[in-house]
Amino acid sequence: MPVETDADPVTPVAGRPALDQPPPLLVAQHVSRHFEGVRAVEDVSIDVLPGRITGLIGPNGAGKSTFLAVLAGTLPASSGRIIFDGHDVTALPAFRRARRGLVRTFQLPSEFAQLTVLENLLAAAPDNRGDTLRGALLGKRYWKGDEDRLVEQARVLLDRFRMSAKESDYASSLSGGQKRLLEIMRALMLQPRLLLLDEPMSGVHPSIIGDIADYCEALRDEGLTILMVEHELHMIERMANPVVVMAQGSVIGQGTMAALRQQREIVDAYLVG
Amino acid sequence: MTYYLTTVLVYAAVDILACLAISLQFGVSGIVNFSFIIFQAAGAYTAAVLSLPRDTANGGFQTYILGLNLSFPLPWIAATLVGALLAPPIGLVVLRRLRSDYQAIAMLVLSVIASLVVTNTPAFLDGAAGLSLVPQPLSDKFNPYSEAYLWAYTAGALILAVIVFFIAQRIINSPYGRSLRAMRENEVAAKALGKNAVALKMTVFVVGGAIAGLSGAILVGFITTWAPSTWLYPETLILFAAVIVGGRGNNYGAVLGALLVPVGFEEATRYLPPFGPPGLIPALEWVCIGGLILGFLWFRPRGVLPERRRVFPPRRQVAEVGNPSASRD
Repeated sequence: MPVETDADPVTPVAGRPALDQPPPLLVAQHVSRHFEGVRAVEDVSIDVLPGRITGLIGPNGAGKSTFLAVLAGTLPASSGRIIFDGHDVTALPAFRRARRGLVRTFQLPSEFAQLTVLENLLAAAPDNRGDTLRGALLGKRYWKGDEDRLVEQARVLLDRFRMSAKESDYASSLSGGQKRLLEIMRALMLQPRLLLLDEPMSGVHPSIIGDIADYCEALRDEGLTILMVEHELHMIERMANPVVVMAQGSVIGQGTMAALRQQREIVDAYLVG
Repeated sequence: MTYYLTTVLVYAAVDILACLAISLQFGVSGIVNFSFIIFQAAGAYTAAVLSLPRDTANGGFQTYILGLNLSFPLPWIAATLVGALLAPPIGLVVLRRLRSDYQAIAMLVLSVIASLVVTNTPAFLDGAAGLSLVPQPLSDKFNPYSEAYLWAYTAGALILAVIVFFIAQRIINSPYGRSLRAMRENEVAAKALGKNAVALKMTVFVVGGAIAGLSGAILVGFITTWAPSTWLYPETLILFAAVIVGGRGNNYGAVLGALLVPVGFEEATRYLPPFGPPGLIPALEWVCIGGLILGFLWFRPRGVLPERRRVFPPRRQVAEVGNPSASRD
């Protein structure tokens, strides 16, 4: 899929793509999420264009991770609509959205600690005949073909992310950066259409930050759409276009990082320094 | 001696079944089912009231529902089904919306409620007095007091335990078992990766319920009596202690735990010389059970036989093209 690299003009909030752009893969319309009076996300509308990395930035407490959780279905929306690939998924639970290709990672490491690295990937894989009670009771011969195929698929990913040597280690034994990579690999096992990454570079060694950015760009170049919450602004500037800025639960602007830096209220809210 | 040995072995088979079910639910799936004993009791009561004649028989000294006088194996099959069918209503109430710690409390409360309801409704299952004179399987064809019958019953119970063990092995070594373990480790992440956690919990809850129901039928068929005092909620804690000691998520650990705690521990204390005031030794047994749980959770949380690490055979060597081979350590 061709990738847009030219800068979009800055739009104040929730801009719509120009006519020559492909239709958005995900549309959030007036999405809100309230926690007993606390308006964590308030009337947020964004479009996520296919084949791009869209950045989502803002100060702590801006509602970015909550918004991501609402998009993925981990938290239900208090109001608003979420359209994914032309279908309204607002009422769908998280697992159904994931099966449709809307897959997220988490702000805090969420590895399956007492499963090995390879098992973490296999646990995420769909389409295994042994992944039902009936399939399990029918025995290994019934599902071995699927299992072998998925093991091979997982090993290709492990090779790509240079984690093959860790295949049989418990996920709990990985370093922080390796856990981040594991989460991305695990999400990729579902062959997602839109990957929601929640601070994939936080708490990670600087050398792995660069690797994560490289992997994200490579995945984008292969056609994967990514919406990424991140505080590493230089990486967002490098990878993401457009960038959406949130503060106090609302979108206060979007565009390229360069253009956002020209906006006084955005600089005051988040980009100081 | 035969009666003693067969009694110990039948109890061992029943406890092995119960521990396998708890290991599937708690050890593999992370469901803290403190109402487990309800399922065993439901199986036992079902087998009893289906085996017994109408409650007007035997002079009507006990009152209960049904009394269908069915032949073996129908009461045992029905007990297994009732154990399984009890799972969805309880699961729908408890497993769908509550977090795991609240689930555990709700299950415990449910266990207490069930015991109180049965105790205080004598017309249902004879209340606190419980059911007795439950016909033993095939007792109309064979002498249930003969040694041959006792050994045959024991063999049957052990064979059923072995069959359930292999079923449990199939489950935990399958991709379905892996999904259960993933859900145990991080339910929110599992959902975000396309796992239907409610369905996973419900299916393993039903399987565990069926095994529990069967274990209750085996037990009541042997001891021929069943009352609320035999299925108080602390009985569940003994089984949990067994699984924690043996090794959570490992069927061999569940079997070992069943043999060590409910069977071995209780048999060992049986031969202690009496000391202290009446009731001191049983009370100390409970203290020791609690100590076992705390000690293992503190010093060996994964049990004597921990869940084994799944290592996959290495891939066949093929010419690789284009993949970086350097390892990230």
